[in-house]
Amino acid sequence: MLKIQGLECGYGRMRVIEGVNLEVGAESVGLFGPNGAGKTTLIGAVMGINKPWGGSIEFDGKRIENTDTHFMARMGVALVPQERELFPGMSVDDNLMLGAAYIPHARDKSDEQLEKVFSLFPILRERRKQLAGTMSGGQQRMVAIARALMSNPKLLILDEPSLGLQPSIVAEVFEVLKELKKTVSILVTEQNVRESLRSIDRGYVLENGKIVIEDSAEGLKTNPYVLKSYLGL
Amino acid sequence: MKKPANYIFPLALIFAGGLLPVFLGAYPQAVARSVFTFMALAISWDMLLRSGQISFGIAGFFGLGSYTAIILSVRAGVAPVVAMLSAAAFAALVAFLLGFLVLRLRSTYFSITTLALGEIFKVIIHNWSSFTGGPEGLVLPQVVFGGKSSSLYWLSYAILLFAVGASVLFEKSKMHFSLTAIRNNEIAARTSGINIFANLLIAFTASSLIQGLVGGVHVMSYGFAMPDTAFDANYTLLPLAMALLGGIHSTWGPIIGALLLGVISEYLKLMIPYGHLLVYGLIIILVILFMPRGIYGLIKKERSKRNG
Repeated sequence: MLKIQGLECGYGRMRVIEGVNLEVGAESVGLFGPNGAGKTTLIGAVMGINKPWGGSIEFDGKRIENTDTHFMARMGVALVPQERELFPGMSVDDNLMLGAAYIPHARDKSDEQLEKVFSLFPILRERRKQLAGTMSGGQQRMVAIARALMSNPKLLILDEPSLGLQPSIVAEVFEVLKELKKTVSILVTEQNVRESLRSIDRGYVLENGKIVIEDSAEGLKTNPYVLKSYLGL
Repeated sequence: MKKPANYIFPLALIFAGGLLPVFLGAYPQAVARSVFTFMALAISWDMLLRSGQISFGIAGFFGLGSYTAIILSVRAGVAPVVAMLSAAAFAALVAFLLGFLVLRLRSTYFSITTLALGEIFKVIIHNWSSFTGGPEGLVLPQVVFGGKSSSLYWLSYAILLFAVGASVLFEKSKMHFSLTAIRNNEIAARTSGINIFANLLIAFTASSLIQGLVGGVHVMSYGFAMPDTAFDANYTLLPLAMALLGGIHSTWGPIIGALLLGVISEYLKLMIPYGHLLVYGLIIILVILFMPRGIYGLIKKERSKRNG
């Protein structure tokens, strides 16, 4: 589904991503790494938010480097950005409907999709009329994920969904991802390796712009380097 | 669903506005024309503001429209209606082309650049004397309708209704969704599939079209244009103040604001000549301090409180 080969990326004269290969099929894939490893830059390159310097990115067999972000969304790639990127001045309902309104293949099924989203996040049904900006951090994250799902994506990309959330909400978010991976491909970046390993099939470790480890979730759990550096064992 | 009562009030207002010349003399009609001019500019400014972009280029496109109309009339002798429509079309075309440059900018950078654009238009017209008349400007041999007060009133009223119609169209269509989303959060808007540049370009072009049209009609009604009057900073500042007073991000806000400030300033001008600007400034400061959402914002808040 998503195939990245030899990706080079950076800002100004600083190279951030150096020859990364990464693939996501019908599965849930984790991308781990410390702050500054280049996780967000890599996702930005996929979404057309920052332009790749070199290498290739394919989605559904089509080359997509330099495709505008809104086209990526219409092609079926939904992004839940790192900051709580939602529409604070709009109600929960409007936030969700906006997720589908501009995506041709999602527009007609938005009512159906809304039901699905509400069954994943029941709290949002109760808060439909509330302004999204007035909700708690965890609820805003749920709105952001729900909004992305409203576009009925083939690939869902989440950039550090656990960032700044209390542990119980983090667990809830990863439970939802576990449920979601049955129907949609997922690429999730995380620093919280322990929690996210439970919801992914495979993972990559990115350090200083290079992939240093690529393994199944089981393999990562027993990898001595991962154990020492990311799980603190 | 909307109740029919929601349409009755605006329709009655539109009808009453059209009937005014039957009851009013020439002086109140002239005041009303000036209020309509600023009202249309305030509405056009707000249309772009809904995307979060603050333009200081109203006077620029107003002046551009003014000069387009008067140059076509004086140099090519075209019919007034053609001159006025060309003013709208030319302002829209210039905005569309410049949009590819300036709409890459955001916040303060966008605002300052739009301000500079207006100055650039002015400098070009100021110095291209052989074509534009230079600092002395151009004079029409005759204003439209032979200067008949009620006809000029209806003309400027029609232009106002056009601006209102465009603004309502923006409010009722998907454009409203797009612009509000862009204002709220550009990254979220992009990842929701909204083409930000295309939406901003439409809004910028449409609002400049109205500003050019208003400028064209204004110059055809008054019969002359000089760089200093056609690009007067008041054409930027007053609409801005009116929209802020009435309440931004709506059609009603600029209407209420322009009506109030327009009438008040006219009254103050008679009461305390030259002192009226002082009072004017005071009103604006007080409103921004105590009514940041403007008058219409306050009305909306009260109404939603009453409805639970």
